[in-house]
Amino acid sequence: MSRATEDEGQLVAALVAGDRAAFARAYQRYNAPMVRLASAILRNRASAEEVAQDAWVSILKNIGTFQGRSTFAAWVFTILTNAARSRARRDGRQVLFEDSGEGNSLADAFDGTGHWKDVPALWEEVTPEREVEGRNLLSHVTAAIDRLPEAQRAVMILRGQQGMEAAEVCAALGISEGNMRVLLHRARLALRGELDRLLS
Amino acid sequence: MGIGFTCKDVAERANALIDGELGFADRLKIRLHLAICKGCDHFIHQMRQTKALIRASAAMPAEEVPPAALDAILARVARPEEEPEPKPDG
Repeated sequence: MSRATEDEGQLVAALVAGDRAAFARAYQRYNAPMVRLASAILRNRASAEEVAQDAWVSILKNIGTFQGRSTFAAWVFTILTNAARSRARRDGRQVLFEDSGEGNSLADAFDGTGHWKDVPALWEEVTPEREVEGRNLLSHVTAAIDRLPEAQRAVMILRGQQGMEAAEVCAALGISEGNMRVLLHRARLALRGELDRLLS
Repeated sequence: MGIGFTCKDVAERANALIDGELGFADRLKIRLHLAICKGCDHFIHQMRQTKALIRASAAMPAEEVPPAALDAILARVARPEEEPEPKPDG
């Protein structure tokens, strides 16, 4: 069964036909998160941009083989992740996405009986457009994702932002489902903590 | 662990709850807890809002695409000698 959406189907058909405008749309939509993900893997912005370009070359050369068994986004990000991991190996770097134990923002939130020390308050006016500290909430969210430890950032980009299936994320990053859940849990808590700081 | 959940128990399961990955027994325990605990009710609500904002942030309008960036990629695609990267089975 095809998992690609109708929009994606049209985009893919246009890419197969060599439509430059379709390529520009795909590039505009995916290149920035591709570079951010590659940066999380390679820890180097210049290398990340090169790897994203390599991935685009591969995507366009192989677009005819995309069969819609995954979403187009999952296909794109799997190619990108493979390219970034190959590059890391070539550069002599090991890529491990283990839980580093960093970022448990709830570690001190409870008393000895498991009750909140400070009871969470409702956030008001939570809309993507809301401006706080000079920029909208979505910009804050993206900036906060970029401050996460690398493994959490990679999981958050793929699972949280791009909406890839858990199994697709695990395959792309070479991690277990349990590890992915821990990383996603910590990353979401960190982002909730940042939003709480902005909105409370 | 007793029959009911503490606030800490609820917070630890918040992600699984909002992702629809919790079993019936844990969902029931959380529902009972939320009925009497405003703090946890607010926390779960915040986690749902956080998840939604993260997803929405993927659709943020990106910057204009420099035509030179597209040209560089298309030139490489047109070059026959370049070996394609390994691709997944899509």
